[in-house]
Amino acid sequence: MWLKFNAHPDSRCWYVAWNPKGTLLASCGGDRAIRIWGKEGDSWECKTVLQDGHQRTVRKVAWSPCGNYLASASFDATTCIWKKKNDDFECLTVLEGHENEVKCVAWAPSGNLLATCSRDKSVWIWEVDEEDEYECVSVVNSHTQDVKHVVWHPTQELLASCSYDNNVCVYKEEDDDWECRATLEGHTATVWGLTFDPSGQRLASCSDDRTVKIWKECQPEEGTDAAWKCVCTLSGFHGRTVYDIAWCPLTGALATACGDDGVRVFKEDETADPDQPVFSLSAHVPKAHTQDVNCIAWHPKEAGLLVSCSDNGEIAVWNYQSEV
Amino acid sequence: MAHKSEDLFDCILMADDRFHGEGYREGFDEGTRQGMIDGRKHGASHGAKLSMEVSFYYGFGITWKCLLQNNTDVKSRKRLKALESLLGLIQKFPHEEPHYENLQEDMEKVRAKFRQVCSLLNVPTDFSDYVKTGGSGGISF
Repeated sequence: MWLKFNAHPDSRCWYVAWNPKGTLLASCGGDRAIRIWGKEGDSWECKTVLQDGHQRTVRKVAWSPCGNYLASASFDATTCIWKKKNDDFECLTVLEGHENEVKCVAWAPSGNLLATCSRDKSVWIWEVDEEDEYECVSVVNSHTQDVKHVVWHPTQELLASCSYDNNVCVYKEEDDDWECRATLEGHTATVWGLTFDPSGQRLASCSDDRTVKIWKECQPEEGTDAAWKCVCTLSGFHGRTVYDIAWCPLTGALATACGDDGVRVFKEDETADPDQPVFSLSAHVPKAHTQDVNCIAWHPKEAGLLVSCSDNGEIAVWNYQSEV
Repeated sequence: MAHKSEDLFDCILMADDRFHGEGYREGFDEGTRQGMIDGRKHGASHGAKLSMEVSFYYGFGITWKCLLQNNTDVKSRKRLKALESLLGLIQKFPHEEPHYENLQEDMEKVRAKFRQVCSLLNVPTDFSDYVKTGGSGGISF
């Protein structure tokens, strides 16, 4: 069961994000615009268009945990922070500093921290204070190439990033400065997306090498840093690059967005050893879109509701029903 | 008698090898000398560039520290902290040690810290106008 609509006419839709309450959908694209969609009966209507915030493609959007702010990351090297005022959004501030295209922005669950990453190989961590002032807390250069995605741990102050250099880096704060504490190697090509499982014990990554890897944090020996080990690799399921991956916070199902135009959902085998998880393909829509699927996101409140967007400018809303 | 005739033939037969060997040794020595000269030039220029960058950050840091140290507001204190951190990273740098194994890593840390400080101070990071290579330009008063 699904619904499709054209979100960004004549250009790519790069990203879609549900607001924390699940009442709004934000999308962004190659037309440099951000669109906010709300449900009207059975269909989604465009409530607002934020057109003049950026001079180039908007690559990702992220809602703050409270739902009142929206951050947008753009190829114009800036990150814009928008504040929600009734049905409209106004640009609060523009974060500058990256040398070139900003690839991702993410809010920490606490709402006080923001992370951005860029083609300039760095990850920046920003702090927000009570007066809505944003300050750069740290600049970390752990990757040797374009950093594609950053994601925060659901409960701890931990950040993960992935890059064109095939690695995933995990960061922790030490003495007011953020440092890379672990480098997860294993993928043989660009890692495009990352997602934590609902408990935060595992991290899933998806890559240009057409696999998905599940990583688990191992209990550290005394005095050494925690290490992350790859406990599962899903290969042979995707025909092309896997661009995005999302772990459902409600059901634990794993959804992927692929360059072969398909959307897939994987379910975890309940009986497997927790240190050696087993995932099986539970649902597959081969031609979910007519072009590359760039993003996939689970609804935060309604189990089984999924949204995806594609290079053809379309957004599709899906209903996933797992047979128990 | 037999000994003498062997020597005589040796001279002729081994001439090729001998000249080959001598030529090789001469070439090797010459190459080593030239290599040292080139290497020294390369090292000097690379070292100069690196020093120029690090010293720039240091001077930048000290200047801003002087400008801000009498301010007591929260913002300035945060900036001073970041500046101190930058200066600290530079001071820890082993300036005399070209074989320092963490050179690249530490330089990246210094550069990253510099970018963060610039962001806090609201100062652009592009300093290429100030760094003129090859000794041309320099400081004018």
